[in-house]
Amino acid sequence: MIELINVSKSYPNGIEVLFNLNLHIGKEEFAFLVGPSGAGKTTLMKLIYREEIPTSGKVIVDRVNVAELDAHQVPFLRRNIGVVFQDFKLLPRRTVYENVAFALRVTGAPRSSIRRKTMQALELVGMLKRINSFPDELSGGEKQRVCIARAIVNNPPILLADEPTGNLDPTTSWEILQLLEKVNKRNTTVLVATHNKSIVDEMKKRVIELENGRIIRDQQLGTYHVQSS
Amino acid sequence: MFSHLEFFLVEALRSLRRSFLMTMVAVITIVVSLTVFGIFLLLTVNLGHIVGTISSHLDLAAYTNYDLSLEDAGALQVKISKIPGVVKVEYISKDEAWKKFKEDFGTKLVLDEAASGNPLPHTFIVQVRSPELLPEVAKEISQLEIIDEVRYSGKLIQQMRTFLNAIRLGGIVLIILFFFATFLIVVNTIRLTVLSRETDIYIMKLVGATDAFVKWPFLIEGLLMGIMGGISSFLILKFSYDAISMRLSQALPFLPLVSDQKLLLEIYLGVIMAGTGLGIVGAYFSVSRVLKSEVQKC
Repeated sequence: MIELINVSKSYPNGIEVLFNLNLHIGKEEFAFLVGPSGAGKTTLMKLIYREEIPTSGKVIVDRVNVAELDAHQVPFLRRNIGVVFQDFKLLPRRTVYENVAFALRVTGAPRSSIRRKTMQALELVGMLKRINSFPDELSGGEKQRVCIARAIVNNPPILLADEPTGNLDPTTSWEILQLLEKVNKRNTTVLVATHNKSIVDEMKKRVIELENGRIIRDQQLGTYHVQSS
Repeated sequence: MFSHLEFFLVEALRSLRRSFLMTMVAVITIVVSLTVFGIFLLLTVNLGHIVGTISSHLDLAAYTNYDLSLEDAGALQVKISKIPGVVKVEYISKDEAWKKFKEDFGTKLVLDEAASGNPLPHTFIVQVRSPELLPEVAKEISQLEIIDEVRYSGKLIQQMRTFLNAIRLGGIVLIILFFFATFLIVVNTIRLTVLSRETDIYIMKLVGATDAFVKWPFLIEGLLMGIMGGISSFLILKFSYDAISMRLSQALPFLPLVSDQKLLLEIYLGVIMAGTGLGIVGAYFSVSRVLKSEVQKC
């Protein structure tokens, strides 16, 4: 589903972020991306949804090298990738329903399906009761649920979550991760960048560890830190 | 694309309403810029009209102190009218001239009529086809034996014409500069409204909206702001111009102000269209710039 081949990334100011990464994430897989701040987790995610272009190497999403996409093809790539952020990025002047429906509207989805799909997504994340609330009126956990609903409303095969629990308390974080697992079980590939040790340890999923722009560990059923046996 | 028109319209109206203050600032800026532009346009047109009207006086006057009979005067009138370039010759006898003079100034002047008699000459008012012909026609007339003197305001007219041409040229240059300044102001104002919604644009792009889809609501918004600004500016210009030109024509009746409704209508329509065009172009430039910066990030 997602494949990185010899990917390096440096910014125009000369800062090198990623060095010669090779990575393969299969269809419907659930993986954690861990590592200290500045390790390159966010940049790696941005390469996948083409907010950044690698300096060298290939980023293949669903058999397409997204690094070579023309600008006008990028919107169509993004319709296949849902993105969840630490800071939610909800539109403050729109209700919960409008925020989620917006993702469908701007892709030109037919009117008839917008309501149905929006309600389905909101039902999945358990936010049907709050459809008329504005983001300001929601708790952090609720905002993140809306953000996830927006990311999956289009039924994308891939969901990227960048520090989805960064602003949440442990209980809520756990709920959000369970939700992401639920999304994964709906045949969606999920990649979660996180600092949250307890969740990574508890979930026992694949763990990819980045440090200084290099993959230093890629372990199935892993934990946040290498376990000394 | 038309199936999405409703969405674009709703989005445009919604953001106009939700960022009401910003919209008002943008519309007021457009109104002020367009009004200043319109005032300048009206001033230039009127100044040109005034100078044009004054310099289009194509008269010259030929005087004689000979004692002319009516027949002599008639013959002379025919003779003058045959000079090339002459359009019309009007004869004012010395008696008529004196009568008119007394009518105009009689109450103000104390003249001893018996002592001085009628000091005025016979006058021929000659109209020529174009002002350039004045010196030549004047020369020919002055060569006629009976004519004592020919007068025309040749030098003044030439100066006026030079002035008129300068005004026209300067006017065009200034109008272009003004238009450019107005354009920059409007574009930058609309850019502020676009920048205030950078997050919206970012999210739209993130969930897979095409550039065209992102642009449309902003273009409609720019169009609506432009139309609102243009019409407000038109109303301000029209009512002020009507009021001012009415007062001026009462106070200075000889001042030939532009009252050609068709020309005025063209100017007003120009202002409305400039507003509309600036709104759309301003929005296009602004949103393209934000989108470009998003692309550069990619």
